[in-house]
Parts: sequence; structure tokens; C-alpha cells
Amino acid sequence: MQFKKLANAILITTSIIALSACTHTKKNMDDDASMRGNNMTSHSETSGAGGRSTYDDNVNRSKGTISKNTYYFDFDKSEIHSNDLPAIYAQADYLMGHPAAKIILEGHTDPRGSREYNVGLGERRANSIAEVLKDRGVNPTQIRVLSYGAERLASNGRTEQEYQLDRRSVVVYIQG
Amino acid sequence: MRKLTAILFFFLLTLIGKSAIAVISLELTRGMSGAFPIAIVPFAIQGQTTEQNIPAIIGNDLQNSGRFKVYGANRLSYFPTDVHDIKFDYFRHLGADNVVIGKIQEVGINRYQVNFQLLDVVKGKTADETPESAVILSHQYIVSGDDFRSLAHHISDLIYQQITGVRGIFSTRLAYIVVKRSQNTHTHYALEISDQDGYNPKSLLGSNDPIMSPAWSPDGRQLAYVSFENRKAAIYIQDVATGRRHLVSEFTGINGAPSWSPDGRQLALVLSKTGTPNIYIMDLATRQLTPLTNDYYINTEPAWAPNSRSIIFTSNRSGSPQIYQLDLATRQVTRVTYEGKYNARASFSPDGNHIVVLNQQSGMYNIGTLDLDSGIFRVLTNGSEDSESPATAPNGSMVLFGTFFHGKSILGMVAMDGSVQLRLPARDGDVQDPAWSPFLS
Repeated sequence: MQFKKLANAILITTSIIALSACTHTKKNMDDDASMRGNNMTSHSETSGAGGRSTYDDNVNRSKGTISKNTYYFDFDKSEIHSNDLPAIYAQADYLMGHPAAKIILEGHTDPRGSREYNVGLGERRANSIAEVLKDRGVNPTQIRVLSYGAERLASNGRTEQEYQLDRRSVVVYIQG
Repeated sequence: MRKLTAILFFFLLTLIGKSAIAVISLELTRGMSGAFPIAIVPFAIQGQTTEQNIPAIIGNDLQNSGRFKVYGANRLSYFPTDVHDIKFDYFRHLGADNVVIGKIQEVGINRYQVNFQLLDVVKGKTADETPESAVILSHQYIVSGDDFRSLAHHISDLIYQQITGVRGIFSTRLAYIVVKRSQNTHTHYALEISDQDGYNPKSLLGSNDPIMSPAWSPDGRQLAYVSFENRKAAIYIQDVATGRRHLVSEFTGINGAPSWSPDGRQLALVLSKTGTPNIYIMDLATRQLTPLTNDYYINTEPAWAPNSRSIIFTSNRSGSPQIYQLDLATRQVTRVTYEGKYNARASFSPDGNHIVVLNQQSGMYNIGTLDLDSGIFRVLTNGSEDSESPATAPNGSMVLFGTFFHGKSILGMVAMDGSVQLRLPARDGDVQDPAWSPFLS
């Protein structure tokens, strides 16, 4: 009888602890965004302002039967989901049909863990896609692998759903 | 049984209270018991200068080190400025073992003479000794008003070393990456440096592409880093004072994790030009590369031992990331970490006896230390949020790391024995990937 009361007390208290640990507020990103937009190409720093990475997803829609350019991965894994294969094969077909076309294969991870190790993990993911393309017959010179690790997250959130969106490889056409 | 229930309930409630305040405060969130009690008296001011900056900064420095209990202006009701007319009994009753007094005198246009003295209260109370015998440190400087902050940090260094016997880190700097995300435009990345307390931030590089892994050269004059500008990873070395930089490594694939040798002549780095990430040493004069690993695993995050005889690095050759040590003479590799399934981003403490490492347990990423002799592993960060990117102070007393607070990435500091915890002043944007400079003075 008494144990039941004790157990209830523990249950209530630990759920209070768990709740207080879970709450966090999302920040609105409305700081000087417009100013940043205007100053994007002019930087006062003495060393180079970087080049721009653009996601040419819209361009890709016209590339044959390619249905998607982003492929997702499970936690700590670099194995391709089988239902991504048709889209990847379609990328291969396009590349083989357009020998002047070039892609960057980006690799990404979720933000947990060590940054440089994540660069290595991201590269593994991009390489998985690259291997499939090359096995299909794509010329390796058409492919460049670039791992961003956890440095270019898909979202700012820290839930499992958002981590799932971070773990990805993206095909970006830089030519053709 | 009812009483036990009540006691247990109360105990658990105090635990909530503890975790709820652990990361909220802007300054010290956990201090050391047995801290040195010291009174820092507002300086006497003659002339135009307005604020009591110098003693306030000294007070913050010493208080935030966690090793001092500071009695500052708001705790004092007696403000002596000369050792000859000081009443040590007041400070004895207060509980201070040491007193800092000083004077600031305007001696020209924006030129000031600053004097300070560190006094020992116990020596001072001995009646038959002259008050001067209580003086442990006494210095005088001529500076401009712009130098007040760095002079204060220098004085903090002197006081810290005098009392603790350990060299102070108040004149060191931090490097870190600031990320500003916006819904309207591209994410912006900046490589910044600041004073060790977060003040005087300066941007060294701004970019629309990621920057990562800043690494200070051993003389503190240069920073190596990885930049993704032009959609490729490359390593640059930039002069901190002039901003001039040169490209060091731009091979196909990964160019990452630069780490300076203790003599500053070599850079350990990671390249995946063989197809997978491996560790190399580059001679900075000749640019010649020497491979240290050559396999198909992920090998990364090299860090030199202070005696230059070995390099520790992260490798997943056993199935998940662990730390390995490579003897540079024999090229033999031995595994170093066994605690848990994930150990990465290790670095040596300055005395070479410990490594500081990112360790994962029960799904949480913490900073831990591993004593290399005893094999004892100890977790330093125990918050409710993941930690990352540990960087050790050059006197081995504190570890700087990245963590999260209210949904933003911030920097935190924890003492090597876990006794003290701090959060850096809040910034605009996300702060991550920090590096601690060597001693600069």
C-alpha cells in the first residue's frame, strides 16, 4: 500500500522534471534580414566573402523523369533507401545522356555529435549515391562529392523529425 | 513510510530547482567552495575618467574563474585607497584574505597613470609591522583610456598567478563561428574572435558558405580554418592582425580539421583525396604532405600532444567513433577511449596528462576528461542539452564548449574539475565551434 503512494509520488515528480527539461521557445528569425539581403554581395571584411550555394531544384524538374534530388538517410547510416533508387537511376540516365552535365553531390548530417566527424559521415552518404550512379555508367568526372557535415542544416529545430530532414544527400546540377 | 515519501518528494523537488537554474544565469552558474576571498576596492580617481572599469573588470575576471569570492563595491562600506591609512581589521571581519586597492590619475589628454596594490590581510594586521609589509604586488602603468580593459585583464592575470600559483588566462582570446539564419535570405557565417570574456568581438571573415574548425597557431598570431566558399572545402591560414590569408589545402574532397604542431611548423589535417578521410601532416614551409593513416575508415580530428611525440585522432575503425593515439616515431596506433560507444574531437590538456573529449552516453553528448595514467573518465558537463566542440584553456583550468540554451547555440565554460560552470554573454545569432587562444602576453 505504502509503496504505491511512494511510486505515485516518484511518478508525478519525475514527470514534472521531464516537462521542465523539455520546454524551449522557438526564436523568430526577424533580425536585420532585409539589411543582410541588401548587403549580401558587399562585405567589409578584408578576406573573401564566400560564393553562393543555390539549390537548383526547379531546374531539375525539367530533367527527364527525375522525381527528386534529395535522398534521406537513417541515423548514423549511409545506406540508400530502396525507394530512392528509381529517382537515382533517373539522375544516372540524364547524366549519361548529357555528358557535359555536372553535379555536386552534397552530403549532410543532423547536428548531433562532433562536427568534423559529421563531415566524414556526410561524405559517406554522398558517396553511396555516387557509387550507384557510377555503377550505372555515369562518368566519374561528372560527379563531385561535397560534404557539409552538420554545417548546412535543413532546419533549425532539434526534434527527431527535424533531424530526419537534416540527414540527406542532395544532387545539385552546376552545369547542363 | 509516509515520512519517507515526503522526504523523497522534497529531495526530487530540489533537484528540479537545481536543473532549472543551472543554465539561466549570465555569469557563474556554479562556483567552487573554498574559493579565495578577496576584496576589490574602487580605485581613487583624479581627473576626467568616469567609470570604475578597471576594478569592476578585475572583480568579474576573478569571480568568473570560480576560484575567488569577490567582495566588490556593492559589498563594501569602506574604501581605502592608500596602504598607509588602511584598516585591515575591516577586511578581516569581512572575511577577505586579500585586498586590491588602486588609483587612476589623469596625466595628459587620454593618458592615465594607473597604480594598483595587492595586499595580504593577515600580514597587514600584525601590529608591529609596517603597512608596506602587507603589499604583495605593486605596479604602475601609463595607458590611454582605450587600454583600460586590457590593463584590467593583465592585472587580473598578475593577481590570479600570485594567489593560485597558476598562470591566468584573462588576456587570452577566443575564436568561434557565428551563424545568422534568416527566412528572407541566405544563412550568413562569420569567423569571429573576442576577449576571453566575450567582449571586443571582431569579425575576421564573413561568408554565405560555412566556416568551421578555427585553430590558433601556437604564437596566437594566426588562425587556420576550413571554408566552404566557392562550393568546396579548403583550409586557409589567416593573420589575425592584418587579415591577410593564404590558401593551404584545396585537394579534392574533404580538407578539414587543421591542427597546429606545438612548434607551429606543421599542420595536421584531414584529406579524403584517397576516397575516404585520412590524416596527414603538412610541412608549412615546403607544403609537403606525410600520410599518417591510410585506410577506408573515417579518420579525423587530429590533435598534437604537447610533447609533439604523438597525435590523437577520431576513428570509427572499431565500428563507432573512438579516440586513437599514433606515436609519431613508431607509427604505432593504440586505442585510448573505451567509455561508451562514441568518443570524438579529443585534445590534450596542456600538461599532457588528460585528454578532453566529446562523449556520448544514454543519447546525450557531454564533454568529459580522461586521465591517461589512471584511465579514469569523468563527465564535466551535465546539463539537459547536448554539448560539442570542447576547447581547453592554455592554463588547463577551463574547457570552452558549444551547447544550447533556449533553442540557440551558445558557448559555455566549465572548470576542468567540473566545479565551475559559466555561460558566455548572449550574442545575436548562433555561436558554435570555439577555439581558445594560447597565452598572448
